Amino acid sequence: MSASTLIAAKDLKLRVRDRSFFILGIAAPLVLATVFNFVFGNAFDASAGLGLEYGLVDLDQSQLSQEFSEVIESLEEEGLFTLQVFPDVSNAETAIEETNLDAFFLLPEGMSQAVFTGQSATIEVIGDIDAPTSTQIAASIADQFATGVDTTQLAIGTTAFVIQAPVTPEFIASLSRDPVSAAFSYQLSDVSAVTRQLDPVTYLAAGMAVFFLFFTVQFGVSGILEEDREGTLARLMAAPISRSAVIVGKALLAFALGAISMVVLVVATQLLLGATWGAPLGVALLVTAGVLSAVAIMGLIASVAKTPEGAGNLGAIIAVILGMLGGAFFPIGQGDDLLSKLTFITPHAWFLRGLGDLADDAPWTAALPATGAILAFALVFGSIAWALLRRKLSR
Amino acid sequence: MNSILEASGLVKHFDELTAVDGVSFTIAEGETFGLLGPNGAGKTTSISMIAGLLERDAGSVTVEGQAITTTSTAGKGSIGLVPQELAIYPDLTGAENLTFFGRLYGMSAGELKTRVDEVLEVIGLTDRRDDLTKEYSGGMKRRLNIGIGLLHKPRLLILDEPTVGVDPQSRNAILESVEHLSEGGMAVLYTTHYMEEAERLCDRVAIIDEGKIQAEGTRRELVSLVGEKDRIAISGGGDLVGAAEAVGTLSGVVEASATDHELDILAADASSVLPELLKTVTSAGGTITGVEVVEPNLEAVFLHLTGKALRD
Repeated sequence: MSASTLIAAKDLKLRVRDRSFFILGIAAPLVLATVFNFVFGNAFDASAGLGLEYGLVDLDQSQLSQEFSEVIESLEEEGLFTLQVFPDVSNAETAIEETNLDAFFLLPEGMSQAVFTGQSATIEVIGDIDAPTSTQIAASIADQFATGVDTTQLAIGTTAFVIQAPVTPEFIASLSRDPVSAAFSYQLSDVSAVTRQLDPVTYLAAGMAVFFLFFTVQFGVSGILEEDREGTLARLMAAPISRSAVIVGKALLAFALGAISMVVLVVATQLLLGATWGAPLGVALLVTAGVLSAVAIMGLIASVAKTPEGAGNLGAIIAVILGMLGGAFFPIGQGDDLLSKLTFITPHAWFLRGLGDLADDAPWTAALPATGAILAFALVFGSIAWALLRRKLSR
Repeated sequence: MNSILEASGLVKHFDELTAVDGVSFTIAEGETFGLLGPNGAGKTTSISMIAGLLERDAGSVTVEGQAITTTSTAGKGSIGLVPQELAIYPDLTGAENLTFFGRLYGMSAGELKTRVDEVLEVIGLTDRRDDLTKEYSGGMKRRLNIGIGLLHKPRLLILDEPTVGVDPQSRNAILESVEHLSEGGMAVLYTTHYMEEAERLCDRVAIIDEGKIQAEGTRRELVSLVGEKDRIAISGGGDLVGAAEAVGTLSGVVEASATDHELDILAADASSVLPELLKTVTSAGGTITGVEVVEPNLEAVFLHLTGKALRD
């Protein structure tokens, strides 16, 4: 057995013996994932619906209004909300006041004509004053449709101008059998691509697992500081082994602790909570890369800290920041804002994204891009930590 | 006799402080060599460089002809280190601690089994071998600390103040075990600030202060440095520091130094200077509870060489 393996085996025995490995590596993430699932599970559960109730008033009664009706009916079929059709505005307004209706879409008379003659048209969303979020969601759906109409309107206008043809229903039909809904459906699939792939149980289990992974591996790498405090580091340094062997030994233990806790969590959450992690090989790649990146980052912290307590405090701060930024607790949106971009400077986000890529029975290769990104973290931080730790041991 | 350790021109700076300044000595096979000096004299820094724990700014160390550096591994197998602080794992048993370190030194499983039993016997922990060391008494931990250093039968054993913070009974047990270490040909480097330990255990002693070796030799050789002088030890209280300063000005007094409860004085002739000396101590604010005229020892040598007491 090599020196580094001996050191890792000794440390593993100590961690098992003082029970810290079981408490922080396995029990805490399992309990927290269960609690989070219990408390927040339904918040992310698309299949359970969002409890939204919308209405539709179609005063236009045109081909375009029919397209809109079909679109929102398809969303209703996906379970995003329930839909009632009202014959006029007053009935819909009464429903808002007297029932649980959150908002209704009003397609005004002449909307279609206005669109096809290049004029502006409006889809109105009238909502319950006590349900601003639900109303905002309805407005977003209307906006989405309007964007599709604008795009199509622009395309039709441009084509008619180029070929010098009048804009008639026959002309539009000749361009495409269903131009408006085609544009809309494209937009819809684009939005749902990243954020809705992992089911909430798996998301929470994975988020908790990768979050606690950083605490678990810290046990291993900060062992160098504990050895220093306990005086045993001097003995290790005096032994006929290289300094690298000591660092590798600590990293090996950290990797083993992280890998064991992750494997236990993957299996346990699958069996107990019904999480679906995806293709095993892909999950193994993500877990391996995730553990390596955690070892590297926590190794870097151990290299700059002076005491185990200092490393623990700094490590906890970094782990929480990375966890929150990386979406370990709540999903971070995939927009163009700064937060959405910052999330990808964390291994957590790539880990969760990789699992998302594995969802819906995707092959293991779907995890490769995320695995590569996580390994890049491991390489960069690991190299810096290696250099600093070697320097630290050669005081 | 073959030289086991050769340390030459060791220098170590910590920022502006020169902790070790040109320390050189050798230790032969079967010899116990003492490094005697007060706290902060440079003893631990010196042995840290010798054991390859600390980068040195200058100098060289060889053990059995093999160079020792912080990055070398070859010669370190010949060294056994017993650090001043306890260096054992509290959540491992005594036998597990020994086995772990033995394997780090490349000992085979069969060799280890026999040797662990032998060492446990030597340090008197056979019946506690399977207890976690956090349940050991302070003295037992100290003995295990030494046992780990002995386990792989090193050619050079370095003991860094192994009796610091140990009760008198355990201290005596440790000294007794160290006394016999060199009999099998092992070279022993023993650092201490207790004069009586150095006198009892060491074949040769180097007196170190402020990072430099002030003198080196056998006890007899070192004591001869003091010459035909008498050492007067006055125990008492009051302003002994002021008394030492006053006594130091007396004719016939060579050196005078004060500790908490004692004045150490070197004089050319104790009988002629004693009456005036006692009067000066009293008038300077000191109180006297006992006076002893003794043969010069290493304490006196240290006082003679550095002008201060070993326990300063």
